[in-house]
Amino acid sequence: MKKMSKEKISISIDARGSHCPGPMMELIKAIRQAEVGEIVELLSSEEGSLSDIPAWIEKAKHELVDMIKEDGYNRFLVRKTR
Amino acid sequence: MNKIIVIGGGFSGLTIANKLAKKARKYKLDITLIEPKDHNFYEPDLIFYAFNNKKLSKLYKPMHKLVRKRVNHIGMRAKKVETEKKKVILEDGTELDYDYLVLATGVKYIEKDFKYSEQKHIHHFYSPPATEKFRQMIKRFKGGTIVISPSTVPYKCPPAPVEFTFMLDSYLKKRKLRDKATIKFLYPLSVPFTVKEAAVVVAEMYKKRGIEFVPYCNYEKVDIENKKFISFEGEEIEYDELVLLPIHEGQDIIKESGLGDKEGYVPTDKFTLQVKGHPNIYAIGDCTDLPTSKAGAVSHYSAPTIVKNIINQIKGKEASAKYNGKTICFLVTSYQKAMMLDFSYNHPSRKYGLIPMRIYMLFKRLFRFLYFHILIKGII
Ligand SMILES: Cc1cc2nc3c(=O)[nH]c(=O)nc-3n(C[C@H](O)[C@H](O)[C@H](O)COP(=O)(O)OP(=O)(O)OC[C@H]3O[C@@H](n4cnc5c(N)ncnc54)[C@H](O)[C@@H]3O)c2cc1C
Repeated sequence: MKKMSKEKISISIDARGSHCPGPMMELIKAIRQAEVGEIVELLSSEEGSLSDIPAWIEKAKHELVDMIKEDGYNRFLVRKTR
Repeated sequence: MNKIIVIGGGFSGLTIANKLAKKARKYKLDITLIEPKDHNFYEPDLIFYAFNNKKLSKLYKPMHKLVRKRVNHIGMRAKKVETEKKKVILEDGTELDYDYLVLATGVKYIEKDFKYSEQKHIHHFYSPPATEKFRQMIKRFKGGTIVISPSTVPYKCPPAPVEFTFMLDSYLKKRKLRDKATIKFLYPLSVPFTVKEAAVVVAEMYKKRGIEFVPYCNYEKVDIENKKFISFEGEEIEYDELVLLPIHEGQDIIKESGLGDKEGYVPTDKFTLQVKGHPNIYAIGDCTDLPTSKAGAVSHYSAPTIVKNIINQIKGKEASAKYNGKTICFLVTSYQKAMMLDFSYNHPSRKYGLIPMRIYMLFKRLFRFLYFHILIKGII
């Protein structure tokens, strides 16, 4: 059973198939557009995202709400906190 | 006749037009190149010219020396492409029909919050006037903090700011000023540029050479009065001199013709190089959204695919030729040495090129000759 998050998603980005630094840059763009408190969903099949995305979120002081392993890609849910 | 129009006569457009010209007679090609500039400029040497006194005019070549006889060069801007009618409209209103179109319009730099020419302490080295302004400053530099950062990703030639930083380090050592200077390199990712295998090596070299690396640092704005770089992540980094690459975007014609994404880059099939949704339009070079570097090397290796596919289509066949993402470029690490990055869609940068060597620097130095006399003319 895949874990499902009940959070309401405001912006969703499908960066599957995109190479480094695509997914990271797409996420940053979406966080810029989002309002504080909103959740951004990022789908990425790029391996580096697994370490890079959480590290960036920590540095930028946003919140990693969930990181879900799907079939062939990862789903990140990120809350804009400031 | 098969009418082919190429918009943009930088390295990419000239290479394509000149390569097509070699096939013009056999396949009845009528080739038009639309480019308002009357010269071409060799950008890779800007990283050297930022630290020497040579005349920047050495890096220019007039267009008429670069365009082959069978290419009709129109010295004007194209205003719009009407894809339904297969027409290009020029700035004076002239309409030109095409059977096949190649977009090679490169990128444009945007000055949003300030003008570089008006800022004493903010520089870049991505154009001749900006390089000239930087070198006037660095000649007078006596010590302090120099901060280097891109302002957007993607930008032209991912390793260029790294090369510039290594050159700065070497230059300051030569002038015996290195111990009076702090060099900080800021970058949006965990490593100092986009080709990961090489970037890891660069990060190690930064450590050894006392260059401070700040990862996950995305440009937000500059506090000009207090000389601070402010990142999107909330960091404030003080500088005495800031080298901030200009903001890059696609050209207006791309957006206005409905051929671009949000940043004005052309959605391009990474293998056939056809513009998505437009089988008779191709895109090459910096104007594309290809998942690889914005580099002349990419244009050089991808140009034969476009030529083959246009010929295939003229013969009534599928556009079946495929670009494999092949790129080779050199990354300067000091006055004497460089690395060689050799990668494609299928393999990461080859390990043998990641050890800085004199031979790679020799290639880098010889490259301008090759660029103007062989590559841009479509000879190979
Ligand atoms: C400092 C620096 C170092 C670099 N080092 C390297 C390196 O070591 N190796 C490497 O491979 N690459 C390097 N590059 C990148 C390389 O220079 C570029 O990738 C290359 O020049 C891109 O060529 P282009 O023809 O796609 O774009 P451009 O050179 O930008 O040409 C686009 C042309 O289109 C024209 N144009 C735009 N709009 C219109 C219009 N509406 N109508 C008609 N014409 C139009 C413009 O006038 C321009 O001449 C470097 C770049 C810089 C800045």
